[in-house]
Amino acid sequence: MQRLVDMAVSAVLLAGLYATMAYGLGLIYGVLRIVNLAHAGVLMAGAYLGFVLHRRLGLDPYLSIPLVLAVTFGFGVLLYRGLVRHLPRGAAGGPQSLLLLFGVWLVLRNGAYLIFSGNDHVIRTSYSTRAVEVLGGFVSLNRVAVFVVALVPVVLQLVLSRTYAGKAVRAVAQNASSCTLVGIDVERVYAITFGVGTALAGLAGLLSATLFSFNPSFGTGELLKSFVVVVLGGLGSIVGTSLAALLLAVVEVFAILVLPAYLTSAVGFIVLVVVLVLRPGGLFGQRVLG
Amino acid sequence: MSPARRRLLPWLDARDAAGFLGGLAALAALPLVLDVYAHNLLTVAFLAIAGALAWNWIGGFAGQVSFGHAAFFGLGGFVSARLLLAGALPPPLAWLAGAVAAGAFALGAHPTLRLRGPYFSIATIGLGEATRVVFTYWDRFTGGASGLSLPVEAGEKYRLYWWALGLLALAVGASCAIRRSALGLKLLAIKSDVDAAADCGVSPALHQDVALVLSAAVVGASGGLYASYFSFIEPTDLLGFDRSISFVLMAVIGGVGTILGPALGAIVFVLVRQYLLGSYPQLYLGLYGALLIVIILFEPLGLWGLGLRAVRRLHRRRDPALAGEGRT
Repeated sequence: MQRLVDMAVSAVLLAGLYATMAYGLGLIYGVLRIVNLAHAGVLMAGAYLGFVLHRRLGLDPYLSIPLVLAVTFGFGVLLYRGLVRHLPRGAAGGPQSLLLLFGVWLVLRNGAYLIFSGNDHVIRTSYSTRAVEVLGGFVSLNRVAVFVVALVPVVLQLVLSRTYAGKAVRAVAQNASSCTLVGIDVERVYAITFGVGTALAGLAGLLSATLFSFNPSFGTGELLKSFVVVVLGGLGSIVGTSLAALLLAVVEVFAILVLPAYLTSAVGFIVLVVVLVLRPGGLFGQRVLG
Repeated sequence: MSPARRRLLPWLDARDAAGFLGGLAALAALPLVLDVYAHNLLTVAFLAIAGALAWNWIGGFAGQVSFGHAAFFGLGGFVSARLLLAGALPPPLAWLAGAVAAGAFALGAHPTLRLRGPYFSIATIGLGEATRVVFTYWDRFTGGASGLSLPVEAGEKYRLYWWALGLLALAVGASCAIRRSALGLKLLAIKSDVDAAADCGVSPALHQDVALVLSAAVVGASGGLYASYFSFIEPTDLLGFDRSISFVLMAVIGGVGTILGPALGAIVFVLVRQYLLGSYPQLYLGLYGALLIVIILFEPLGLWGLGLRAVRRLHRRRDPALAGEGRT
């Protein structure tokens, strides 16, 4: 019984990370109608950025969060202004933007490979091995910290739903051409949205780096998991995203009870295909997919 | 194309057929003058071209960009290899069996074809990666991470040149046939607007299935030939994400959706990889990534599109009456 509780706790903690990864992808898709394949590359870049700051400057990964957010936000804005802006959006530009951002991912991956080689790295801090007691079981302190930081999307959701700027973003998501009529700078909203989505990917990458080892091809599985969460949970709903992230984490964690250990790494991929095929409308019937 | 040209079949006119057969004959006779290095390079290039052209049937004609074709390549490779190791079948039949297995697997992937655009692409990443994980741990079939070694027969590798050429000829012929037949038009209709196509009585499910199965079968056969050629295969090489990417890159560099553009892309891909792997092995994926970005931004039809532009410019210069025309 205690074992099941432990697994449930670790599923909940994992779900926080998944929600952060997915929220960035979902935000960009919701506003720009683009599936950002570079998401995976930025996740990886965020991990390496935290790694370098920790190793070279001795900066604690949690203290480097603002720096990583700023750098990846800037990168996202540049990516939008320099490349993505020039492509058609929506159904017409589907394969083009997909391939373009895929190219960006390849370049990022190769860049990391050139600088850091293909070896696995991990951010190891003095408290990496410390554990705290949760519901009678012990969990790594890091996991709890990651979960707390992963509440960022909740703040973002509040910004989107309660502020004037958030209203502009939601308006652009609904109808960009009408927004130009009421004086919203659509291009600016797009650039900022792309930046924020990218920054969330960087944050998720940094957080993952404190928990798991990573190498330049890190991010593929995370991209797919984010996608599962976005499809299942719908856009712009923090409740939906959290529930979907929780569902995915529970399925992954508990799969070990019924599947041989080596197959658990395929669970995320299989969930992805099953979800896309059986439930493309998401958990709550809200249709994200065009 | 002028209407006056004689047509042997609805999708084939005499001049194209002559060019095709002439090219084929020249390539078939080429080993007489080639050294071993060029011979091997060409064999690999033929397999790559066949794979790129086949990817283009679903990725280009139907507009369903697949990031999971490595699954078909690997399945074809391992099925052929197993059959050859068991000594059950002569090589050509083993390759055919690999093709059939890959085609059948593609039929199993049918539900993913309900998805359009990016959703299909993402689903294929999932399918490809899941297949890779299963194959990596399924030691009894694939030998696990240590892979399978095939018996090496004297002269076998040399003869594979003509088998690869045969597969290439098949892929080129099929590309023209598909693109210029009703099937090709229907696939293009599905690509432009899936709902409108369905309203006109073109079944998106059926036609995409046909395109995907054909594509997977040819890629599976090229996987089988690849296995025989290298006589050692392992899941990470055959089924890795990099393998899937290579199909996308070859087609995009050459020209997505054009009839023979992907063949150009495959040639460039193989040549560049050959030289970069020798001198700068760390650079090649990033270089392809940069190339991808440039192509998407400036010439979405890739090398084929560049060629078309050059031809048009030449025509205009030669015939001033045409200047300003031919913007299509």
